[in-house]
Amino acid sequence: MEEKRHTSAEYERELQEIKDGLLYLGALTEKALENGSTALMERDSELARKVVCDDDQIDQIDFELEERCIRLLALRQPAARDLRFITTAIKITGHLERIGDMAANIAEKVLILNEIPQIKPYIDLPRMAEIVRGMIRRSLDAMVRSDVELAHRVREEDTVIDKLNDQIFRELLTFMMEDPHKIQVSLYIMQISKSLERIADHAEGVAEMVIYMLTGKSVRHQPTCKTNG
Amino acid sequence: MKIRLFHKFFIAFLAIGILVAAIAGLLIERQLRSGLTRWIEDEMTAEARIIALMPLEEIVKHTTDLAERSHSRLTLIDAAGRVTSDSDLRDAEMDNHLNRPEIQEARLKGKGTNVRYSRTLKTDMLYVAFPLEDGAKTKGYVRLARSLREIGPSFDHLNRSAFHALLLILFCALAAALIFSLRAISPIRKMTKFTERVRQGEASGMILIESGDEIGLLAENLNEIMSVLQDKIRMADEEKEKLQAVFAGMAEGIVVLDAHHRIETINRGMERMLSRRREDIVGRTLLEAFRNVPLHDALERFRQIGETVSQEISLGDDRSAVMDVTVSAIQGDTRRGKKTILVFHDVTRLKKLERVRTDFVANVTHEIRTPLTAIIGFVETLLQGALDDKKTSRKFLETIRENSQRLNRLVDDLLTLSGIELGEVTLHPEDLSVAESIEQVLTVVAARAAEKSLKLVREIPEGLPRIRADRDRLTQVLLNIVDNAVKFTPKGGTVAVTASPGEEGFLTIRVADTGVGIPKGEIPRLGERFYRVDRTRSRELGGTGLGLSIVKHLMKVHGGRMSIDSTMGHGTTVSLHFPIFEESK
Repeated sequence: MEEKRHTSAEYERELQEIKDGLLYLGALTEKALENGSTALMERDSELARKVVCDDDQIDQIDFELEERCIRLLALRQPAARDLRFITTAIKITGHLERIGDMAANIAEKVLILNEIPQIKPYIDLPRMAEIVRGMIRRSLDAMVRSDVELAHRVREEDTVIDKLNDQIFRELLTFMMEDPHKIQVSLYIMQISKSLERIADHAEGVAEMVIYMLTGKSVRHQPTCKTNG
Repeated sequence: MKIRLFHKFFIAFLAIGILVAAIAGLLIERQLRSGLTRWIEDEMTAEARIIALMPLEEIVKHTTDLAERSHSRLTLIDAAGRVTSDSDLRDAEMDNHLNRPEIQEARLKGKGTNVRYSRTLKTDMLYVAFPLEDGAKTKGYVRLARSLREIGPSFDHLNRSAFHALLLILFCALAAALIFSLRAISPIRKMTKFTERVRQGEASGMILIESGDEIGLLAENLNEIMSVLQDKIRMADEEKEKLQAVFAGMAEGIVVLDAHHRIETINRGMERMLSRRREDIVGRTLLEAFRNVPLHDALERFRQIGETVSQEISLGDDRSAVMDVTVSAIQGDTRRGKKTILVFHDVTRLKKLERVRTDFVANVTHEIRTPLTAIIGFVETLLQGALDDKKTSRKFLETIRENSQRLNRLVDDLLTLSGIELGEVTLHPEDLSVAESIEQVLTVVAARAAEKSLKLVREIPEGLPRIRADRDRLTQVLLNIVDNAVKFTPKGGTVAVTASPGEEGFLTIRVADTGVGIPKGEIPRLGERFYRVDRTRSRELGGTGLGLSIVKHLMKVHGGRMSIDSTMGHGTTVSLHFPIFEESK
C-alpha cells in the first residue's frame, strides 16, 4: 500500500486515517493495560477506576474505525492490497477492542483486590503484563515498519505467556490448599492472569492479521512451535 | 543548439551570396545582349544609310555585291511596298512589305529597325530600313537584314568570363560567411558553455570576451549577475549552515511535520531522545513514529484551535522520560501547505528535582516537628505542675535538652549540607597521613564502643601514601562512618577500620562492621537526604538522616568517592576512596 501511488490523494488520506486510527486504538489499549498493571502494583484504586472509564473511549473509537472501514469499502471499492488492508484493519480493531475490555476487567478485579489485604508481592503478574504490552506494541510496530519477521516473533512470545499463566495457576493452587482464607484473593488473581493470557492471544491475533496484511498468507491455526526432529 | 545557430548564420549568408550572384549574372547577361545588338544595329544603320545615298539603279545592279560586303541581306522595296530586288531570294514572289514594322517606321521617321523571328531562316533577325528619297518624294526603301545568330559565339564567350567572375565572388562570399559566422558564434558558444556550467552548479570564474559590441556587453552583464548570484548563494549557504548547526546542536528534540502531517525531519537531539535513527522516523505519521496518546491528542488539539499547544508526555518503553512538548505552526511560506513543529524539552531531571525538593521540605518539617513536639509536650507538663516534683522535672528537663540538642544537630547538619552543595565550604587541603585521623576518631568513639562491648580493630600498614585532604573534614567524614558502624552493630560485634592503597592514584579506607546490614535495593538511595533504611531505629539512635549525605558530598568535593557493600545479617563495609597526595601538585 505504501509503494503504490493513488491518483486520488483523498483516498490515500482515508487509508492513512484508518492506519493512524488503528495505531491510536493500539496506544490506548496499551495505556489501559499499563495503567491496570500499575493500579494493581501500587494498589491505586483511583487509577483502576480510570481504566474502567477509559474503556468507553476505546469502544467508541473501535466503532468509528469500523464504520470508516465499511464506508471506504462501500464508496471506494478498493482492490488487491488495499482491500486486504481494510479487511484486516476491521479484524485488528476487533482484537484491540477486546484487549481494551480485558484491561477493564482486570481493573475491576484490581478494585476488589485493593479492598483485601495482599497475600504476597506480585512478581509474575507485572512481568506478564509487561510482556503482553510489548506484544501489542510490537505487533503494531510490525505493521508500521512492514516487518513480517517481527510479527512472527510476537506470535512466538505467546508461549511464554501461557507458561507464566500455568505457573501462576500452580502457585495459587498451593496457596489455596494451604489456607482457605486465601481462596478469594487467589481466585481474583487467577482471573487477572487469565485475562492477561487472553490479551496475549488477541495480540497474537493482531500479529497474524499483520502478517496476512503484509504477505497475503494466512498463518492462523498453525502450530507456532515446530517440533524438533 | 550552437550548431544550429551556426548553420542559420551560414545558410543565410550563403543564400544572400547566391541571390546576389544570380541577380548580377542575369543583369550582366541582359546588358551584354542588348549592347551587342545595338552595336550591330549601329553598323547596319551606317551601311544602310550609305546604300540609301546611292542611285537606285546602282543599288539594283550591285545588290548581291552590296549584300555580301555588308554581311547582310539587302532588300529594295518600292513606294508601294513591292520588293524590287533582294540579295537572297532572287526573282521570288514576295508579299507586300509596306506593312512591315521597320518599313512603316522608316516611312514615318526616316529610319526603321525591328527584331523579329524569321520563319524562313528560323532565327532572330534584325531589320534596318531607310527610305530612298528623291527630293521630297519617297520612291522606295532600302532594307538590310542580318541574323542575330552571328552574335552568339562572342556573346557566349563574354558570358562565360562573367560567370567565372561571379563564381569567384561567390566563393569569396562563402569564405567570408564562414569566417563571420564562426566569429559571431564563438562568444555565444563560450557564454552557453559558461551558463551550462553554472546550471550544473560549478559556478566559478568569469567569461572573458574582449569585444565592445552587444555580445561583449552581454558577457559583462552575465559576469556581474554571476558574481551577485554567487554572493547571494554564499550568504544563503552560510545562513543555512548556521541554522543547521543550531538545529542539530540544540539539546531539545525537534520534529517537523509537513502539510500532510507526516514527519519531514527530526534533529539529532530527537534521535538521541528516541535512540532511533532518522530513517526509521522520517516519512511516518506522528502515531506511526511515537504511538503516544497524549502526544497525538496534543497535535489534534493544536489542529483544532490553531494555537501553540503545550503538553507533558512520557516517552520510552518504560515511560521513564518526561517531555514537555510544544506544538506550533511554522511561520512563512504557506503556499506549500502548513507545516507544524514539535519541540520536545526533556524535563525528566527537572521532574526528579522537583520531587526531591518536595520530599525534602516534607522531611525537614517532619524531622523538626518530632523533637519540637516532645519539647512542647514536656514543657507544658512541667508548667502544669510537674515542676514541683523535683525528680520527675529533672528527667523531663533532660529529655527537653536531648531534643533541643537533636534539633541543633539537625540544623547544623542542614547548614553543612547546604554549604557544601552551594560550594560555600572552603577546603584547606594539606597532605595528611590517614593513620593520625583514624586514631583520633577511634578515640572519640572508644567510650561508646566500650558501652556496647564492641571490638574496635584497626589495620593500618606502615608507609601508606599520604592523601590530600582537609584535616577537619576528613575527621568529620571518618567520624560519621565509624559512628554509624558503632550505632548499628549489636553488642559484642566488631568494627574494623583498614587502610590500603586502592585503585590507581587512590587510597582506600574501609570501615567494616558486623551489624544488621542493608538490603541491596536500598544502597543506591543511602546518599539521599533524610533517607533511612529503618526510620524508627535510626531516630532512636539520634541520627538526623543527613550523615551519609554529608559524607557523600564531602567525598565529592575532595575528588574522591564513597562506596557501600553490604550483606544482610552479616554486616556492612563502607569504603572511602581518597586521592593520593602528589608532590608535583
